Amino acid sequence: MPVATEPEQAVHFENVGVTLGGVQVLEGITASVPRGGSTAIIGPNGAGKTTLILALLAHVPYDGMIHVPKLADGRTPKIGYVPQKLTFDRGLPLTVIEFLTMGDQRMPFWFGVGRANRRRAVELLEAVRSEQLETRRVGALSGGELQRVLLALALQNKPDLLILDEPAAGVDCHGETLFCEVLESLRAKWHFTQVMVSHDLSTVTHHATHVICLNRKVVAEGPPEAVLTPETLGSLFGLHMGIGRVQSMPADHHECSGNCCEGDHHA
Amino acid sequence: MPDLSFVCDLIPRILPFECLELRFMQLAFLGLILLAPMAAMMGVQVVNFRMAFFADAISHTAFAGVAIGLILGLSPYCTMPIFAVAVGLLIVAMQRRSMLSSDTIIGVCLSAIVAFGLAVVSRAPSVQRDMLRFLYGDILTIGEADVVFLSLLFVLLTAFQAWGYNRLLYTGLDPALAETHRVRVAFYQYSYAALLSLVVIFSVWWVGVLLVTGLLIVPAAAARNFARSAGSMFWWALIISFTSAVAGFLISAQEWARTATGATIVLIAFVWFAASLAAGAIRRQTGR
Repeated sequence: MPVATEPEQAVHFENVGVTLGGVQVLEGITASVPRGGSTAIIGPNGAGKTTLILALLAHVPYDGMIHVPKLADGRTPKIGYVPQKLTFDRGLPLTVIEFLTMGDQRMPFWFGVGRANRRRAVELLEAVRSEQLETRRVGALSGGELQRVLLALALQNKPDLLILDEPAAGVDCHGETLFCEVLESLRAKWHFTQVMVSHDLSTVTHHATHVICLNRKVVAEGPPEAVLTPETLGSLFGLHMGIGRVQSMPADHHECSGNCCEGDHHA
Repeated sequence: MPDLSFVCDLIPRILPFECLELRFMQLAFLGLILLAPMAAMMGVQVVNFRMAFFADAISHTAFAGVAIGLILGLSPYCTMPIFAVAVGLLIVAMQRRSMLSSDTIIGVCLSAIVAFGLAVVSRAPSVQRDMLRFLYGDILTIGEADVVFLSLLFVLLTAFQAWGYNRLLYTGLDPALAETHRVRVAFYQYSYAALLSLVVIFSVWWVGVLLVTGLLIVPAAAARNFARSAGSMFWWALIISFTSAVAGFLISAQEWARTATGATIVLIAFVWFAASLAAGAIRRQTGR
């Protein structure tokens, strides 16, 4: 497969199809994620964006091939995953520090969190600018705080490929700005490849270096300036694209995504 | 069979109560302080991951377990645990594969199992008295062999919990996320269900179908209200179940009380629970 072995590709989808409960959710997906960049997967609700990511994570069965080529030094890339939301019992007595160590620490939490594990978790929290959350209960976090903690969790095993599913969903304006900033600076420092599902076009135009437009099939693919044309967006989101976008945001937040990243960090 | 007389003789020295001078009471007490903490340990996950209905369904396999023993001519002490574990594993397998909601699956299994048990037993009136026994349980039927067996189960279960406590937490929180961290989700789901089924079915013998769920979830529910972290919830559950078991046993044996032991234990655990609600309310008011 010549395309898949090109070193600059982090992921290559080859004719991928997914059928869930008798419904063809995705068909004939052929697309690439360039290494080191920030790839955005955009499309209307029900376009199969999350399904494509779940296929990449091997959480849903699929036809076709998904190649994740080895890195230059021969390692298999490690994948970090930030889910769209975590549906869990908000009353669960679980602290942020326990949440961040429960995958690593074998010694039961009966005796607390080990010193080395705690130090590592605090470092991760610092990396996502959330060190003040250490002793908080996970259920008591706001949407933005939980999102950053989930990012910290995904960064735990130093991923080469970071996958984010709708990171801005359910997060307030300030939280989204902070999340964008954190992600930008981390990517500059840690050099991971980022794949992000989004239906917020302004996030995409600010952050993406590569865009895959999806609506059950690949509608368009390429750099944002080439892909995000009125024609593509019209065919992707339909005639009501403008209305659709405003409705996809919480009523009082539809201003913020446009402004969220116009900070100094882009200068 | 190891000799338990040394341990039994120790009990009235530590707790100088008249009721603890009889050997069968000592054995019952030993069995109980093994069983109650086991139930509470497993109860932590039952409460956190909403498996109370699962536990309830397993307790009701007792009837079908007896019925199968009757058909095959085997002792119910052999068929009950085997059948309970089989049903527990079956429910988990169905939950992992089916699109139906978890409580629907358990509800369907529960109805089928109870119907099967009742159908078989209704043909054999002689065992109907046995059935009533399982409804209420009897703590005083704990024998030396039971105590030895419970000790072994206690060691196995504590080891499992110590080894898997954090992973079980992860699995229950979000199986997909746990899998991306290379947690063997299926292994933990099946082995936890099997162990929980064992604890439940043994509890049925001694505290009865009606109160098993109470023994499992009341201490853990109170612990959840007191605890501020996953680690401390475990200790709270242990403390609450142990104190409830000891106090419930002693009170039920007093001349003035003479209540059913299982019921007394669950009532005391409920007092703990009420206290935990009050503590939670105070904590919310003071903003901590």
